[in-house]
Amino acid sequence: MIFTVKKRDGREMPFNIEKISDAIIKAFRASGELKEQIKASQDQIDLLGHEDLLSSTALKVAAYAVGRLEAEGKNKPDIEEIQDAVEKALTECGYGDTAKSYILYRAERTRIREVNTRLMHTLRDITFSSAKESDLKRENANIDGDTAMGTMLKYGSESAKHFYTMMMLKPEHSRAHSEGDIHIHDLDFYSLTMTCCQIDLKKLFKNGFNTGHGHLREPKDIRSYAALAAIAIQSNQNDQHGGQSIPNFDYAMADGVRITYRKSYLSNMVKALILLTGKTEEEIQPVVKKLHTEMAEMGMVATLVPNEKFVEAEARELSKTFDAETVMKAQKFAEKMAYEETDKATFQAMEAFVHNLNSMHSRAGAQTPFSSINYGMCTEPEARMVMKNLLLTTEEGLGGGETAIFPIQIFRVKKGVNLNEGDPNYDLFKLACRVSAKRLFPNFSFQDAPYNLQYYKEGHPETEISYMGCRTRVIGNNYDPTREISYGRGNLSFTSINLPRIAIKMKSVDLFFKELDRMLQLVSDQLMERFAVQSKRKVKNFPFLMGQGVWIDSEKLGWEDTVGEVIKHGTLSIGFIGLAETLVALTGKHHGESEASQELGLKIIGHMREFCDKESKRLGLNFSLLATPAEGLSGRFVRMDKKKFGIIPGVTDRDYYTNSFHVPVYYKISAFKKLALEAPYHALTNAGHISYIELDGDPTQNLDAFEKIVRYMAEVGIGYGSINHPVDRDPVCGFVGVIGDVCPRCGRSEGHAISEAKIEELRKLYPGMPVFRGVR
Amino acid sequence: MSEKELNKFGEGVGFERIRRITGYLVGTVDRFNNAKRAEVNDRVKHGV
Repeated sequence: MIFTVKKRDGREMPFNIEKISDAIIKAFRASGELKEQIKASQDQIDLLGHEDLLSSTALKVAAYAVGRLEAEGKNKPDIEEIQDAVEKALTECGYGDTAKSYILYRAERTRIREVNTRLMHTLRDITFSSAKESDLKRENANIDGDTAMGTMLKYGSESAKHFYTMMMLKPEHSRAHSEGDIHIHDLDFYSLTMTCCQIDLKKLFKNGFNTGHGHLREPKDIRSYAALAAIAIQSNQNDQHGGQSIPNFDYAMADGVRITYRKSYLSNMVKALILLTGKTEEEIQPVVKKLHTEMAEMGMVATLVPNEKFVEAEARELSKTFDAETVMKAQKFAEKMAYEETDKATFQAMEAFVHNLNSMHSRAGAQTPFSSINYGMCTEPEARMVMKNLLLTTEEGLGGGETAIFPIQIFRVKKGVNLNEGDPNYDLFKLACRVSAKRLFPNFSFQDAPYNLQYYKEGHPETEISYMGCRTRVIGNNYDPTREISYGRGNLSFTSINLPRIAIKMKSVDLFFKELDRMLQLVSDQLMERFAVQSKRKVKNFPFLMGQGVWIDSEKLGWEDTVGEVIKHGTLSIGFIGLAETLVALTGKHHGESEASQELGLKIIGHMREFCDKESKRLGLNFSLLATPAEGLSGRFVRMDKKKFGIIPGVTDRDYYTNSFHVPVYYKISAFKKLALEAPYHALTNAGHISYIELDGDPTQNLDAFEKIVRYMAEVGIGYGSINHPVDRDPVCGFVGVIGDVCPRCGRSEGHAISEAKIEELRKLYPGMPVFRGVR
Repeated sequence: MSEKELNKFGEGVGFERIRRITGYLVGTVDRFNNAKRAEVNDRVKHGV
């Protein structure tokens, strides 16, 4: 006799035959096998409910199953044994269809259980391992996986991924993703939002804005301009999963400098007149203020570089009250003081801006906002003052001399504006090189590259090329060719293709292209599926992005309207990684080693771009090709391919696939050759690209070489590039620069201690030294 | 030896090494995932 059963977790429970018959009833209902008989029995005997036939049959089958178990001597069966017996009992009693639906039911339960177990394993890993041991926790280097909020974010993210894979993705997309043919980026946000946006600060500031927790007035000072810029980035970051970019930092901040100068000029004019005439503030202030207000109404205002119209009119009017010499003296004083004060205020504003972006929180405190700012081409004196001070504060570093991680700064380079001697912003280009040589930022974007220049209209900053930190580029607009601008637009979602796998599987070039086409179509369909989900979201789901009119045309929508139409301005991007490994798999050599491989590489990437253009036409949307940054992905694809195909030299023999179209990082090549080889791919990857050069030593000691590389980028048609070099810091003494084994300032080696006496001695030499924890 | 010479600071404290991956700077290599760490180790310098 069976008295107990063994549950899956090992516990023993009292045996209950009804539990078995309940499961059998469900299987009968699913198969419909007893339907006819039930109907017949209902017609015959109304008194006996039809449920009774079902229950009694189920009970009979259950009893038969139990009999089998007992005959086999299984007196303490486990769940699997019971289910096996039920399956056999159903078949042997002649209910074949029901047996089938019972098997299906079992398989489905097993699948859900496995998924849940996998999810639980993942959650356990997140809970109990530190980021040091858990690769999962270091998936994104800018999120601190060790903190409470970082962990909570990870729980949500991993659970969401499980949910979407199980319930929302089409099975073929889900399979392609989990098997590593493709990678759906930011899957945890699948149904929630879009990737990123280029925020037009000028438009946002015009009438002030609301963060959802209160209205902020139009700013009236460069300091509040900079503070609000940081708040705008922070607020928008919470509505999207990607980074936030300001395409017009120079133009937008210039307005703040103008207002600050005007106010400072007024107050200094008042001060000067008080001092020179001996009159009181009450007598002077109202007169000057009234005059300035009236002049402003006629379009005459004080400007950073004094304009004749204002200076003359002011002198004429003030001379009616004060003597001419006093007025002239006062004007000179006010100009000088206002300039100095504005310059100082602008520096402080930029310093606070950088500090804010490195310390303010987004996403429940797990990270700082991913922010990028573009600037470089505005030649107004006010904008130049902004850029100069931003660069200077970046050069100085944060409070303890640390290199600022955010914002990513992108200096826009253009001939006739800043690239060459004699250009109005040439001094700023030089400064940008100097700062980048020390602090890794700014990166450089190139307005004159033909594929960027084609959109540029002078006097329309919205047509200048912008990049978002991770390289995203949104400018062309197939959906609405009259709006080929960067402002208010961004990427909707992107999915990357595992190129090396196609090459490993197909071996021949012809077959490679066939399989590539299949994969491209699969990704396009998947992007469209996601687009349909995103389109149903409403303005209220994005209180800042859509609610405050940051996204293009969203200001025309109501709170309950769906965003489907306006997000058509965004891009759907198909990405790729590992072109180098792909070429090795197909030809034995990558594009750094062989011209033929370079030719094939361009053919492959060119083909992918053609596909994107075709899809854009067919669907009336913006499909674009992305040189995928691949942070988490670089390891994921190759790990899976190693398992599938083993170690293939030059293809799967490292722990990462090479970034997009890059020449492999381990390959010895000159900076110039690398740039020349990579530039043609920039022209093809219209969703974004970046090229890196690795420099040895401390480039601040060789600024000429640094500048030469940037100029060469412009010459060969790179769209976006940056130069890497070691930036090390000793947190004990605060030294920033290249540190080998020993810190050049305090002489300690890694992990070793120095004495308090030594620290005191160093502080005399370097008063700005940070105070290390525990030092008095 | 004076107290200040005996008081030591920095035991076990490493150097911070800021590197750029995927366009972003990261405060220190410790935060990189395994694949990116391997990539950073493999990087060779480009001659000018």
